[in-house]
Formats: sequence, structure tokens, C-alpha cells
Amino acid sequence: MTQEVKKISPAVYGKVTPPVMEKGRVTYCTDLEKSVIMSNFERRGWTQVGPDDEWNFYWSFTQNCRTIFSMESGYRMSDNQMINHFPNHYELSRKDLLVKNIKRYRKELEREGNPLAEKTEVPLPNGQVLTRYIHLDFIPVTYVLPADYNMFVEEYRKSPQSTWIMKPCGKSQGAGIFLINKLSKLKKWSREAKTPFHPQLTSKESYVISRYIDNPLLIGGKKFDLRLYVLVTSFRPLKAYLFQHGFCRFCTVKYDTSVTELDNMYVHLTNVSVQKHGGDYNSLHGGKMSIQNFRLYLEGTRGRSVTDRLFAEMQWLIVHSLKAVAPVMANDRHCFECYGYDIIIDNTLKPWLVEVNASPSLQSTTHNDRILKYKLIDNIVSVVVPPDGIPDARWNKTPTAEALGDFELLIDEELIEKEDANSRYNKYHRLRQ
Amino acid sequence: MEGIKEEAIHHTALKLAEEIKNLSIYKSFYSDVQKLVSSPNVKKEDFKQTLQQAMKEKGLDTKLRNTVFHWVRTQSKQNKLDPLTSLLKASAQWEKRIHKSLNSMCTDLETSLAKIRSQSEQEELSDKWNELSTYTLGNYKTDLSFVSRIRPPQVTKSRRFISDLSKYRPVYAPKDFLEVLITLSGYVPFTREDEPKWEFAHLPIQVKTLDQLRKVFPEWAHGEPLLGVNPNMPSSVPGFATLEAERISLGERVAALGYAPVVQEYLKKGSPQCLRAKLWSQVLGSDVKSQQTAYFGQLKKNVLEVDLMIDKLIFKDVQLTASNDDQYFVFEDLLYQVMLCFSRDVDVMQQLKGSIGNPPTVTIKGKQTSAESMTVFPPSGIIPFHGFTMYATPFCYLYDDPVQLYYTFRAFYVRYWHRLHYISTHSQGIVSLCLLYERLLEANEPLLWIHFRNININPIRVVFKWLMRAFSGHLPPDQLLLLWDAILGYDCLEILPLLALAILSFRKENIFQVNTLQNVDAVLADLSTISVIPLLQLALMKP
Repeated sequence: MTQEVKKISPAVYGKVTPPVMEKGRVTYCTDLEKSVIMSNFERRGWTQVGPDDEWNFYWSFTQNCRTIFSMESGYRMSDNQMINHFPNHYELSRKDLLVKNIKRYRKELEREGNPLAEKTEVPLPNGQVLTRYIHLDFIPVTYVLPADYNMFVEEYRKSPQSTWIMKPCGKSQGAGIFLINKLSKLKKWSREAKTPFHPQLTSKESYVISRYIDNPLLIGGKKFDLRLYVLVTSFRPLKAYLFQHGFCRFCTVKYDTSVTELDNMYVHLTNVSVQKHGGDYNSLHGGKMSIQNFRLYLEGTRGRSVTDRLFAEMQWLIVHSLKAVAPVMANDRHCFECYGYDIIIDNTLKPWLVEVNASPSLQSTTHNDRILKYKLIDNIVSVVVPPDGIPDARWNKTPTAEALGDFELLIDEELIEKEDANSRYNKYHRLRQ
Repeated sequence: MEGIKEEAIHHTALKLAEEIKNLSIYKSFYSDVQKLVSSPNVKKEDFKQTLQQAMKEKGLDTKLRNTVFHWVRTQSKQNKLDPLTSLLKASAQWEKRIHKSLNSMCTDLETSLAKIRSQSEQEELSDKWNELSTYTLGNYKTDLSFVSRIRPPQVTKSRRFISDLSKYRPVYAPKDFLEVLITLSGYVPFTREDEPKWEFAHLPIQVKTLDQLRKVFPEWAHGEPLLGVNPNMPSSVPGFATLEAERISLGERVAALGYAPVVQEYLKKGSPQCLRAKLWSQVLGSDVKSQQTAYFGQLKKNVLEVDLMIDKLIFKDVQLTASNDDQYFVFEDLLYQVMLCFSRDVDVMQQLKGSIGNPPTVTIKGKQTSAESMTVFPPSGIIPFHGFTMYATPFCYLYDDPVQLYYTFRAFYVRYWHRLHYISTHSQGIVSLCLLYERLLEANEPLLWIHFRNININPIRVVFKWLMRAFSGHLPPDQLLLLWDAILGYDCLEILPLLALAILSFRKENIFQVNTLQNVDAVLADLSTISVIPLLQLALMKP
């Protein structure tokens, strides 16, 4: 960015007259040398610079983003700089923290007596009774191990038939995941984990254990999950957008809950990084089906209203997971972030949030994938950058309808606030008339 | 005058009554009526009136009307013999070539057209009926990976035995069929150097002009609001926010009524996806009762018992088409079932007698010599070509259940799709459709026509695969289903060449830029952005 040419800009942003970019001199920096990113930026006429140069737009790895924001780095971002992560994105993307934040969010709402936190009792076939939130029951029951071990055992005993899934908190792409259907197996694991042969598995490496969704919706007999892309441009007020081109990721092998298949991860995990190694992986479609076709299928075979409800519930789930972390997020105005939401739908057509990824893969496995990801990046940039095309952290982050591209608005608390104020104003005036 | 008319109606009624007695539904229908007669609702004093009323209330009235509707539709078959002897001859020759090719494939691969499956093979096929993608066709072996249950995640479950299947090639592809059609005209007179030799126009077949087509599709031509144009199009009916909401509400009433001609009328303006499965089976009379389920079970049994060489071709075709397609791969296993059973369905051949040639009869190897040891090959009489499965794939978006999917697909095939890959002079046959396309292009896009002439490309070449597959596999499923709504609604296939024309017309600027077949194909390769309904309506509305 060049500061040499300074023009007087109209004072739209505030009292201070900001320096304005020289037209056509936007610079970008990227940690990910992927054509889907570079070609997008080049098409906008941006020039590439290194991380130590003066960049306006940085597509960074999460680690580098955290470094920039850390105290020690002493880096201060200028108004014309934007970066693609929030410094503490892990509040949402780390499996244990996500659970912690959602639990806290529910408790707070409950304390306020908010109707959202309403609960109900679900009787189990074995006579036990479980208490569930009616509106906020969108993550499978989850505990952090080893910390919540006792709570887990208590829950486990209520329905000893169920299967649980263990995931290391800090890993992604299906690494280190396994299923458990006996408490003894977990005990064995914890004994082994504490041995000196696995020092890395001790205190630092915590796991989450969640009730396994063992009744997933199957299409063609196969299990799948949904990958949706959610763009957040601000947490307070919350501004979030949903990309219309998500997809379903299918397992290559027929779903089978038998105990013998418990260790066959091709049956259970939908991650492309796992499925790719299966003998049945097809590189033409990569096991991916577009969300539009998924919707078409559901509407055709199950009807309109249940399909509409499912999609509304997924939006609900996304909004409330974001609201749950909003209070703890470092809401830096230079930041935006695109999250990969992984959702599993069970055979009652209820969506469950499985995981949120702060750096969803931009790797293209198929031709359609490449088109989708190119469009995703393009639309992200047009939403987060002001209409004049120059990154500006002071902008009010209210994109025009055209700028949204294939994103649809999930929530904009600022707009809601305004509308509320307007309607209050209108009401007041109507009363006076 | 009145009297004559009355008498004619009486005669028709008598004839109909006789015909209905021969239909498969007659028995159950008759017993339903008998039950009704013995119910207290039907009075002896006023028998006719009360019975009619009771039949209406029980839905038997609609059932009877629909039966007549479906029967009449099967009767409107034209000419018993094709008037054009040149076509007749070509058709017979083509059939002979196909049979020869099948036979030589058998000889080359040292297998037979039909043989009994071994007991173990039957068992395995039966076990894997719901996951045929993992079935090792015709090569029953103990798969070691099944024996060892514990395995590292790098090793997968039993894989299909590809090497055997790789020797099989589709009998023919749309391209081969097109070559046959192009030589049909038999027109070899005084062509000048500069005159193309390929036009279908030489065939003495009548096809419609665009103006005549406008009269076939009056609702479209008059610009009436259609589904598939814009999801948020407002409704003109008070009380509905959008056209879609209005259509759903009307469609629900139409579906509840269940009267086939009304359903057909409704489909002209497009069906919402949520009602399509029901409406399609209603208009085609393909709803599934226990009788149909049992029949499907019979077809399955035949697949399990008899190994037809065609099974390999079916597997091959599903693999080549659906399994590699991101829109259909999920439904692979469903499609194997449906396509295998289809090949065994004698009803298909019965219903298409006279339109599909004469399939050979072969001996089933390994069966004791008797009347049953012979089989028509295949029992349906239909030999699949490369992409045949695409006639069935879109139904996967409507039906979860293989039986329901099967009957609607079959009804569609019997009414429409067989015309797209058999040679005939029928107005809905592939020859007429090609000719229609050619005439439409020449009359309505003369510059494109000239361009094709100049670059010496037969314009049928660039659209033929679309026509032959009814656009399946070429259009995204949502668009395809809207197109097929119109086929059912107007009960004709002329919409296919019209759409081909509309797409060419839409992309003509890009076609003008290129001058090789390969590049024209490239311009037309990706139809994922095509909005079928607006494009068609535009073509029909123009002046």
C-alpha cells in the first residue's frame, strides 16, 4: 500500500480524514499458494507482496494470524488492512472450546429465563430420563476428556448401549478418531495414553467424547455429512452469511452399525481426506453431491415442509453456535473468517453440528469443486471489501445485495437493531397520530 | 341423428367393457364393485344411481376413468407397418447388426448369452442385492478381505472385479446409431458438389413448423406463468405470495383427486418437486400395489437364477454413466436393481410389440430341455446402448423405493423413450425428431444453418446425444425434471428438438466463433447454466 498519495475523502467514516489508497494499488499476501486464491486476487488487479511488505489483504494460516495479533509481534494493522482470521477463532474451531462455549451460552440464557433455553424430559426405553434443551439441542452430548471423565461415565451409564466417538481436540481431517462402545475400551485407552511411550497424549492432548449419531440419514444406503461455508465479518454485532453451494460428502462404503465394522473408518467418517484412501474413491465426483441436488432429492422423496424445516434448523444451528462464541471473540475490525461447518443429519431429519473448521480446505478434488471454491473466494472478497474495492476496516460492513453473490444473509444484528428502532419509531408516531 | 350418436356411444362402451375384461386390474376391480353392491349404500330400487354414487365415494369411479384413459393411450398406436420400406429395411439391418455384435462378443469372451447361475452365485447375488456395486459379477470367489475382520484402515472391503467387466464394450453408442440414421434417407441422386448430402429433409416425413408447435404448446406460447422461470415469481391468484405456493396448493388438490387427465393438464405448467413423484405415477398409471410388488419380485428372481450376458452390459453401463456422475453416483445400487429387472420384464416387450423389432430366442445353458429352457433375449426385448441407464437416473430424485422407481421408469420408457432409439416414421420417433430439429434450425436460425454448412458440419451431430437421451445426464436434474414435466403434460417429445434449437440459438454467438466439430461440442458441452423453461418459452413466444 502506498501512503504517498493522500486525498481528502468525504467524511463518511468518522471524524478523522483517512488516507485513501491509490487506485489500483491493492496488495495481497497469501500463505497458501493456491491458484484458486491467487487467480482470484490477480483478477481484481491486486499485486502480490510478502508478509513483511505492506499488504492490504492477507490470506493467512491461522498460526501466522495469531502471531500478527500477539503482543510480542508489536504489529499494528492500519485501516487499509484485512486478514482472513479472528485471532481467537479456536473458540469456535476447537472441538472442546466449541462445546464449552455452547454449554455456557445455554446456561446464560437459562439464567436470564430466556425461552430459548427451555428444556424437556426425554424418557429412554430403559426407564432413564434425559433432560434436553428443546431449541438448543444441536450438538451431540459431548464431554472433554480427561477433565469431564466422571460426568461422562454418569451419562454413559444412562444408556450403555450407545456408541461414542473420540476425537482429539486439536486435530483435523479425521486424524486420531475412533469409536467406543464399551467403557472398558475407554479405560484401556486411558491407561495406554498415560504410558511413557505416548508422552504426547498426556495432559496437553485432550479429547472430546460425543454421543455417536448412529442413526444417520442414508442416501443410497450411504452415510454422508454436509459441508457448509459460513462467512463472519463481525461478531459484535454479529454479521454472518451462508454460502449457497455447500455439498454432501459421502462414505464410499455402505453404512453398517455392526460391531465388526466399528473400526472401519470408511463406513463412519465422511472426511475426504479419509475416504480418498478407500479403494472405491472416485476422483470424478470425489463422493460429493451438491447441496442443491440434496435438497431436490429430499423434496422429491420426503416432501416440501420437512425439507424447509431441515434447512431452517441448519441456519438456526449456525446462528446460535456463532452467538455462543460471540462474547468471547476478539472482535477485531480488520478480521473476517470463513468457517467450514460440518453437519450430520439423522434419520429423523434433525441436523447435528459436528465440527467447525476455521481453515476449510481449498484443495479442489474435482472440476466442480474448483468452480465452487473459486466462487467462494470471489464472493468472500466482494462481501468483506467495501464497494470501492479497497480493503478498509472502518467500513460499516453492510454489503449491497449484488456484492453478496451466492452468499445469503444469515444474520446482521446491526440491521435488526435498525429495523427494530424504525418499527418502534413508526409505532410511536402512529400512536401519536 | 341423435339416435346414431347414442348408438355409437353404446357400441364404444360395449367394446371398452370387453377390453377392460382383459386388463390385469379387472379381477380386483370387479370384486371391489361386487363388495360395493352388497353394501347398504347401494339400493335395489335405485340401483344405477346409488351404485354410481357409491363408486364415486369409494374412488372406483376415478379408477375406472383412469383405466379407460390409460387404455386409450395405449391404443393410439399408428400404422401397423411402417409405410417407408427404406426405413423398415434399415431398421431390420440395424437390428441384425446388433444381434451379430452380441453374438460375436459372446464368442470372443467364451461365454453364452444365457445360462443358469450356480447355487453359490445365486446366493451371493441375493446377499448383495442391495449393494450390487460391491458384487463381483460372474466370478464367484471367496474374498479374503471378508475373512479378516480386523484390518488397517488403508485396506478396504471387497472390491468389484473390474478386469472381467473391462472386456465388455457397450453394444452401440449414440454416435453409431446416428451413423445409421444419417444414411437412412436413401437419397443418392444428382447432388452437386456444394450441396450437403446429409440432410434428413430428403425423407418424406411430415414435421411441424414452429408456428404449428406454438399451437401444440398454447400455454407456453401465450406467455402464461410457468414453474421453473423464477422461484419468486408472484402469483396472480389472491392469497398466494408466489406462483410456486399457488402451484403447490393447486397440485395438492389435483393429486388428491387423482384423475389422470387432470393431472396431465396440470403438468403442462410444471410440477413442484414435492408433488412430482405422485403426479407422474398418476398420469402414467404406474402406482404400486401388491400385485406390482410381487411381479417385481418375480423379475428379481429371474435375475438371480439366469445369467444373461446383458447383465454385464448393464453393469458396465451403470458404471460408465451414473457411477461417475456427481449427480447420480449415490444411487448406483438402486440403478443396478432397476436396470437388471427391466431386462427381464416380458411385459415391456408385450406392450411394445411391433415397435422394437424381433428379439432372438436363445437356449438357457444348464437348464433341462423343456419349454422353459428357452428365453427371448433379453426378455424385455430391449438391448441397452451406452447411456441407456440415463433414461432411469432422474427418477432417483423422486423415488427411494426401487419398486416405485421401476414402474414409473418403465411406464416412461414404454410411452416415450423407446422411440428415441428405434427407427420408425412415428411422429414422436427419433427420425422425425431429427428432421424436426433440422427444419426448425433452417427456418429459424438461417445464419447458424449457413454457418454449419460453411464449416461442413452436420448440425444434427452436435445435438444428437441430447435428443437420444432426452437430455438426461446433460442437464442438471432439477432442469431435466421440469423438461420431462412438459413431455408428460403435452404427451409429446417434440419439446426435445425445440430445446436443442433454443440452446443453439442461445449460444450462437459462440458457435459463430468456431469452425470445428470439436470446438462446437466444447461450446455446447456444459449445460449446467441452462434454464430450460425460460429458454423454451422464449422460443415459443417470439413474435
